[in-house]
Amino acid sequence: MKKYRSLAYLFILPAVVAMIFVHIVPMAWGIMISFRDLNVFNIRDWTTAPFVGLDNYKKGFNPVTTIGQRFWQSVYNNLVFGFFTISIGFVIAMGVALLLNQPFYGRTFVRGLILIPYITPDVVVYNFWRFIFQARIGIFNEMLLKLGIIQERVIWLVGSNTIWTAIIAAIWKGWPFGALILLAGLQTIPTELYEAAKIDGANWWQRFRYVTIPFLQPVIKTLMIMNILWNFHAYNQFRVLFGDDPGRYAEVPSTLIMREAFNFFRYGLGSALSVILMLIMLAITLIYLSLFKVRVVE
Amino acid sequence: MGKRTPIQNILFYTAIILVLLFVLAPYVWMVSSSFKTTLEIQGMKPSWIPQTFTLENYRRMGKTVPIFKFFLNSLIISSGSMICSVILSVLAAYGISRFRFVGKNLYIVTLLSTQMLPGILFVIPYFVMFTWIKNKLGIPMANTYHGMIFTYTSFALPFSILMLRSYLDSVPREIDEQALIDGCSRAQALFRVIIPLAKPGITAVGIYSFIMGWNEILFATVLTRTDTRTISLGLLQYITQNEARWGEMMAACIISSLPIIILFTLYQKHIVQGLVAGATKG
Repeated sequence: MKKYRSLAYLFILPAVVAMIFVHIVPMAWGIMISFRDLNVFNIRDWTTAPFVGLDNYKKGFNPVTTIGQRFWQSVYNNLVFGFFTISIGFVIAMGVALLLNQPFYGRTFVRGLILIPYITPDVVVYNFWRFIFQARIGIFNEMLLKLGIIQERVIWLVGSNTIWTAIIAAIWKGWPFGALILLAGLQTIPTELYEAAKIDGANWWQRFRYVTIPFLQPVIKTLMIMNILWNFHAYNQFRVLFGDDPGRYAEVPSTLIMREAFNFFRYGLGSALSVILMLIMLAITLIYLSLFKVRVVE
Repeated sequence: MGKRTPIQNILFYTAIILVLLFVLAPYVWMVSSSFKTTLEIQGMKPSWIPQTFTLENYRRMGKTVPIFKFFLNSLIISSGSMICSVILSVLAAYGISRFRFVGKNLYIVTLLSTQMLPGILFVIPYFVMFTWIKNKLGIPMANTYHGMIFTYTSFALPFSILMLRSYLDSVPREIDEQALIDGCSRAQALFRVIIPLAKPGITAVGIYSFIMGWNEILFATVLTRTDTRTISLGLLQYITQNEARWGEMMAACIISSLPIIILFTLYQKHIVQGLVAGATKG
């Protein structure tokens, strides 16, 4: 097929051109802006914004300044959010995947049903959770009261509980994807292996530990890296559940940057913060990749 | 794995039912609330079944917020970006799947990494870029359909290409070669032979782009105003500082989920295959 090599460039050209314009150029632009004091007065022509060197980065990095403190708090919140959402979500996904891997009547139908949260638009999901979490009129408090888990109505959408509210809603929305991927992985494990393990006297935990887990490892690694990266994309859940300003306990970098840029018109500072966020993500990804030796390209 | 004993059977089906309850309960609450009166919603006794059944919320939701206009906007923007990203990704995926060329690995890595970058990194540059284009070139971009289609196509593209590439890899190369021997040009081979064969993959990619456009709010917040407001963003307008119209919002939530639920029910198999392929082979 070597003969047609030049033709290959023709096929990928439109997508490459599109991506240069929509990804590479804006990214370069974003980095340029981050060195400038771009604000509401000079937004009409960004080239007139004064060059301020690393000022925006210093403000963002320094935990002593108000904005620096907020930024690091938001990064911390995002890490807490990610830790619980990913780990609890994974346990649920694994449990359900194992359950659905058993043969039973109506399996395809059930698999379709559990995917509904994943497929439902984010805004719809977090809007009905926002309604469910209402302190006075919401069904969540009502159920907890009836079950005797709480004695008084809990305020979910303001104050120190907010991060848990976001975690609960995000777990509910996110686990089906994990379950789907794990189930697909489980279905590639030959049943003979389980039979053989059984004959060798392995109990269910040993079969899970020494047959299932090793087989699923590549799938789990990819799933985890996707989850870790997506975790830093978190915006929709916080914006929809808590509005423009989620407050200190549920602030994540995305909501903070959006407010700095579009409510307070500090575009330069916002750009610098998003570049810092990208660097943090990059660092975490590299650590993960080197720890678990994930191969990106076959 | 063997047969389950009766007790295991009971436990097994109980577990399945619990999972389904966990998944479906919020939807029951959404649907039932959309048929409740405001009085009942604001009452202190939340219940799963409406005491008085009313269609009032469905009648009023279009008056409180121009939700049908937003619905139409979303339909135009999502379909537009679906068409653009399908065309671009079919060509690119075919290129990657069938040819070896210098820079191929670099290209794949670029695709993977752009897909991983958070949207927030691009919002400010897009806003500045759109303002600049309008002021320097006189082409309006913010608050236009083409601006939004451009934006959403760009974000659907990397995943679409990767997903479609892994699908095309499963279509045997011999089929192309046969078509070429039979006198087709490369382009003819692609359009007459490969595309019809890759329909499930293309459907999955199309639906993915559509759903992406339908769901997005980060860019829509910044780049749209009332004329082009998308439905996902419009849903937020039912709750203001002065009043919370939960019933109408739940009704509007149901309306806005309909296209996605319909697409999913029709093409469930393709979507599931596409998601699994995109995630495990990417």
